[in-house]
Amino acid sequence: MSRLFDNSVIEEIDREKNRWHKQVYQPAEGVEKVFETLSGIPVEPLYTPADTAGMDYLNDLGFPGEEPYVRGVHPTMYRGRTWTLRQLAGFGPPEETNMRYKFLLKEGATGINGVFDYPTLRGFDSTDPFARADAGRGGVAIDTIEDMRILFDGISIDKISSSLVTCQPICNITVQSMYFANAQMRNVPLDKLTGTSQNDFLMETVITVAPEILPPKFSFKLSCDAIEYCTKHVPRWNPISFAGYNYREAGCSAAQEVAFVIANATACSEELIRRGLDVDSFAPRLSFFLSAHSDFFEEIAKYRAARRIWFRIMKERFGAKDPRSLRLRFHVQTAGVALTAQQPLNNISRAAYHALSAVLGGAQSVHIDGYDEALCTPTELSSLTALRTNQILQLETRVTHTIDPLGGSYFVETLTNKVEEETLRLLDEIDGMGGIVKAGETGWIHKEISNSAYEYQQAIESGKMPIVGVNCYQMEEKELPMELFEVPETLQIQEQKLKKIRNERNGAQVQDALDAVAQCCEKDGNLMEVIVEAVKTRATQGEISGALRSSYGTWEPPLF
Amino acid sequence: MKKKIRIVVARLGMDAHWRGSIVVARALRDAGMEVIYLGNQMPENIVATAIQEDADIVGLSTLSGNHMVLAPEVVRILREKGMDEVKVILGGTIPPDDIPRLKKKGIAEIFGPGTSLKKIIDSVSGYN
Repeated sequence: MSRLFDNSVIEEIDREKNRWHKQVYQPAEGVEKVFETLSGIPVEPLYTPADTAGMDYLNDLGFPGEEPYVRGVHPTMYRGRTWTLRQLAGFGPPEETNMRYKFLLKEGATGINGVFDYPTLRGFDSTDPFARADAGRGGVAIDTIEDMRILFDGISIDKISSSLVTCQPICNITVQSMYFANAQMRNVPLDKLTGTSQNDFLMETVITVAPEILPPKFSFKLSCDAIEYCTKHVPRWNPISFAGYNYREAGCSAAQEVAFVIANATACSEELIRRGLDVDSFAPRLSFFLSAHSDFFEEIAKYRAARRIWFRIMKERFGAKDPRSLRLRFHVQTAGVALTAQQPLNNISRAAYHALSAVLGGAQSVHIDGYDEALCTPTELSSLTALRTNQILQLETRVTHTIDPLGGSYFVETLTNKVEEETLRLLDEIDGMGGIVKAGETGWIHKEISNSAYEYQQAIESGKMPIVGVNCYQMEEKELPMELFEVPETLQIQEQKLKKIRNERNGAQVQDALDAVAQCCEKDGNLMEVIVEAVKTRATQGEISGALRSSYGTWEPPLF
Repeated sequence: MKKKIRIVVARLGMDAHWRGSIVVARALRDAGMEVIYLGNQMPENIVATAIQEDADIVGLSTLSGNHMVLAPEVVRILREKGMDEVKVILGGTIPPDDIPRLKKKGIAEIFGPGTSLKKIIDSVSGYN
C-alpha cells in the first residue's frame, strides 16, 4: 500500500476544512452559488488531501512510462520528444491540398493530417448527383488512386507520418487502400509506412451520418478488416483512431466521450481476438483522438482518467502483456464547437487555452483550430497562426519541462477520479446492452448525444454558460476582421480526370475487381486484402463503395 | 384554435453535421410545432416532402459550404410547384457576404452560428 496520507492527519485536515468552510468561506461567499464542470460534475470551492485520501499512489498513479500510465505513456514525455505538430489540412482537388501540405511542412509541421471532403468520406465520387454541391468541401476530393498519387506527390511518405482522417470505415477501406497501393507503386514497402487512419464505425453510423450509410455491424466489420490488414501487413500504421473528438463535437459530455471511445476499442479488440489475433499483436496500434474543450481542468482530468481506464481494461479484461498495448496514446484537436463566428479573432486565445489543457494532459499530438473555423475552411493565415500557437506553447511556455505537472493536485486528482467513475458507469451500461455496436443499432447513443447537445444549447440559451461574444460582451460587427476562404473549383477538375481515367482504364479488369469485392462480402473475407488490389485497376471510390452498399444494404439512423 | 405550424427540417446534400439541425428541431417541437425531420436530402426530395406534408416552412441546415448551390434550388423548385406560401429558412456556417445573396434568391431568414433558439422559434412562430 502506498497511501498518500496518514489517517489521523486526514481526519484533522477534514475537520479543519469543515471549520474553514463554515466559519470563513461561507460568510464571505454570501449567496450560495452552484459551480460545476462543463459536463455537470459539482465543483467544491477547495480540495484538500482529504479528497484524495483513498488513493494508492503506486497503484492509481505510478510513474510515467509505467503502469497504470496515468502520469504519462512515455518515460520522458515532452522532455524526450514533444508532441507532434499535426495541423489538419484538406480542401478542393488533390492538386491544391498537396500545395497546402508542402506549405505546412516547410513552416515546421512535423506530420501530415489530411482531411477528405464530404463525398469521399461517404464513399461517393465527386460526380455523383448527391455530391455535386459538396465536392472539395470540408476536405480534399479523392476519386481514384490517381488522386492519391497527386495528393502525396513530392512528399516523402517513407519518412513523414500521415494521419488520414478517413472518418467512416466505408471511406477508409478504399482511401486507405489507395494510400497503401500508391506506396507500393512508389516502391515504398508497406512496413516502412507510418501514420494513422481514423476508420471509426460510430463516425459512419452515429456522429456524422449522411445518406446511404451502412448498417452499424457492417461498418464495424470494415473497420476491423482494416485493423486486421494493417496488423498483418503495415505494422507501423495505426489503423484506427477512435474519434472521441467528433463524438464530443456532436454533443457528448467528457465522460461520454471517453466511454464511447473505450467501448468502441473494447468491441474491436473482442472482434479481432475472435478472428484469431493475439491481443498484443494489434492493441499497441490502437490509437485515440480526443477533444480539448473549454473546461480546462475537466479536460486534463479526462485524459488522465482515460489512460487509467484503458490500462485496466487491457490488462484485466484482455490479459495484454506488451506494455505498448496498455498505453492509451491520443491525438487532440481543440474544440471546433467552442469557437464562435462572433468576434472570430477571440478564437485564437480560446484554442490556445484548449491546447494547453491537452498538453498538461499528456497528448501525443495536437492540432489547434484556425480562428476562422466557425465561418469557413481555414485560410493559409489562420492555419499558420494556429501552427504558431502550437509552437509558442511548445517552445516558449516551458510547460514541457516537467511530466504531468498537475499530478497530485487535490482538485485534478479528484476530478480524474470523478470522470473515471462516470465513464465506468457508462461502460457498464453499454456492456449491459450487449456492447457498442448494439448500442448504436438501437439508437441509444444517438439519444444520449442529442440529449447532451440539447442541454448544452439550453445552458447557453439561459446564460448559465457564458460564451464571450455570443451571450455576453456582444458587439455590433459591421465587417469581419479577416478574409474568408473560398474553396477552389473542384467538380470540373475531378470530372475531367474521371472522364480520362474511365476512357483509359481496362473496363473488364475493373469489373473483375468489383466482382471480387462483392464476392469477398459474400464470403465474409477481409475486404482490405481485396480492395488494395481493386484500386490499382483505377476503380473509383464510388464504384467500390457501391459494391459494398449493394452487398450490405443501407440503414436509416434513428436520429429524431 | 390555431393550426400547429408544420416545418420540414432537412440537412442539405452531403453535409454531415447533425447537431445544429437536431437541437433546433427539438426546440421547435418543444415550442409546440409539428416537426418532420428528414436527415440528408437533395432539393427535389425536400420539396416533395414539403408538399406531401403540407408544410408551412422548410428549415435547411448545412455547415459544408454547399448552401449557395442547394438552398436557392429548394426555393426555385418550391415556386415551380406552385408552393408560393412555403417559407424557406437556413441555418449553419454561412459567411456574412452570402447572406444578402441568399435573401435575394428567396431564402427568408438565415441563422448563423451562435443564433439563440429563442430567436429561431420567434421567427418561425411569426409565420403563422
